[in-house]
Amino acid sequence: MTSPDVLIVGAGQAAAVAARALREGGFRGGITMVGRERHKPYERPPLSKAVLVAAEEPRLDVLPQEVWALGDIDLLNGSDAVDLDVAKRQIRLASGQVLAYDMCLLATGGEPNALASAPAGHPHMHYMRTLEDARRLRVALHGKPQVAILGGGFLGLEIAHAAMFMGASVTVFERATSLLDRFLPPDASMWLESGLREAGARLLLGASLGGIHSLPGGRIRLATDTGDLDVDEVVVAIGLSPNDSLARDAGLAIAAGGGVLVDALCRTSDERVFACGDCTSQQRPGQAAPMRLESWQNANDQARTAAAAMLGVPIPVPAVPWFWTDQGKHNIQMLGLPALDLDYLRRGDPASGKALWIGHRGGVPLHGVALNAGADLRAIRPLFEKRLPVQLDDFLLDATNLRAWARQIQAGAAAIV
Amino acid sequence: MEWIKVASAQELSNDEAKTVNVAGQGVALFRIEDEFFATDGMCTHATALLSEGYVEDGCVECPLHQGRFDIRTGKAMCAPVTVDLRTHPVKREGDDIYVLSPRAQ
Repeated sequence: MTSPDVLIVGAGQAAAVAARALREGGFRGGITMVGRERHKPYERPPLSKAVLVAAEEPRLDVLPQEVWALGDIDLLNGSDAVDLDVAKRQIRLASGQVLAYDMCLLATGGEPNALASAPAGHPHMHYMRTLEDARRLRVALHGKPQVAILGGGFLGLEIAHAAMFMGASVTVFERATSLLDRFLPPDASMWLESGLREAGARLLLGASLGGIHSLPGGRIRLATDTGDLDVDEVVVAIGLSPNDSLARDAGLAIAAGGGVLVDALCRTSDERVFACGDCTSQQRPGQAAPMRLESWQNANDQARTAAAAMLGVPIPVPAVPWFWTDQGKHNIQMLGLPALDLDYLRRGDPASGKALWIGHRGGVPLHGVALNAGADLRAIRPLFEKRLPVQLDDFLLDATNLRAWARQIQAGAAAIV
Repeated sequence: MEWIKVASAQELSNDEAKTVNVAGQGVALFRIEDEFFATDGMCTHATALLSEGYVEDGCVECPLHQGRFDIRTGKAMCAPVTVDLRTHPVKREGDDIYVLSPRAQ
């Protein structure tokens, strides 16, 4: 039995960044990383984008080769952790191997929500979480198939654009009557919708799906309230569930909405167990309850926070949530968190291909949305960090230099106090 | 050695950038503390013009995914970028800014 000092369960983005942050922070003990997949940690954002469409698969490694070459991070990949015993401070793997720890970091990620009628093992049914998932869909897209995408969220729509780029004909089913209406102001949602239709996608919004049936010959029939649709491939993209069962079974606190409950230090209800990334739920400023945040940035930031907490050094200042999605040739970014009661102001016209929204409550910028305007959103980020009321009139004027405007506000000149 | 005139100094303020054509290649020209620097025009990570990025403290942040590069050295500073940018020599003669043609390097 080995006795690693830090045992990281999971080998994705958060796990890799945490391991590196521990070493960069001077940690001298052992680091063992246990991963279910047979890969070194890799970046997942390209799976629904470049991996599907690029002529050559892009490099996806989270950590450069030099880091692995140092040999001070042990990676047990292809290994599934099946039991966490916080009293004995050990993890048991599916192989029966037991690993002891001084501190444990859960970076177990999430699992795509599944439809019983779309089994993952079916040759023409697809989910999207792993590199294997993406490679399999990529191969399928080369036949320019008819594709049904179940779920019109960020992931489903990225896949829709990629599939169309590859020459597939695409139908998107979405239960809601508008796209991404929890995240985008209505005019941004409308722009996204018309862009997809113009690119050739068929959108079935407000759709209810009756059943999914395999037909003789390999095609798949979707029964809908507007008739049957036969397709070659089905992609299910209806959200992610946190992999929190290891923690749950170990008796650690789990948030009401799922996810390993962590405090501001990314510590779980056991003082020697930390958690980071998609598997967690955490209380955030201005939010009524702990929430899950499935994003690349959150995986990185929580990993650095957990590493700092394990090292006993001050944690990094929590960043304002930031998210990007590449929708075909368009880049959409969001800063902060949406809420139903925000008022949105828009600068620029989506029809021109570039626009920026500030969602505010009483003049306090809380949610920024950028359509091909990432640098502009970046320039006004300090306003979202401060959470102070701002005179927003100048934001709407074309003549306003946003960076200068944000600086002026930071200097206190335009803040309403 | 082929120096190509790409801009005049007043076209850029500090912490601004523009894409210029150097012998058929898009190059990002930056002005930092009244000095001029040039790098490859596209991010090494995604299809994005760095001249549309955010310039601060001698670094440019890609407008798509906030990967950051040191403008003077081209070094990739933070994820998701891992591959350094190529830099290109710049010289100033009066108000004229020249970039060394990548073909001549």
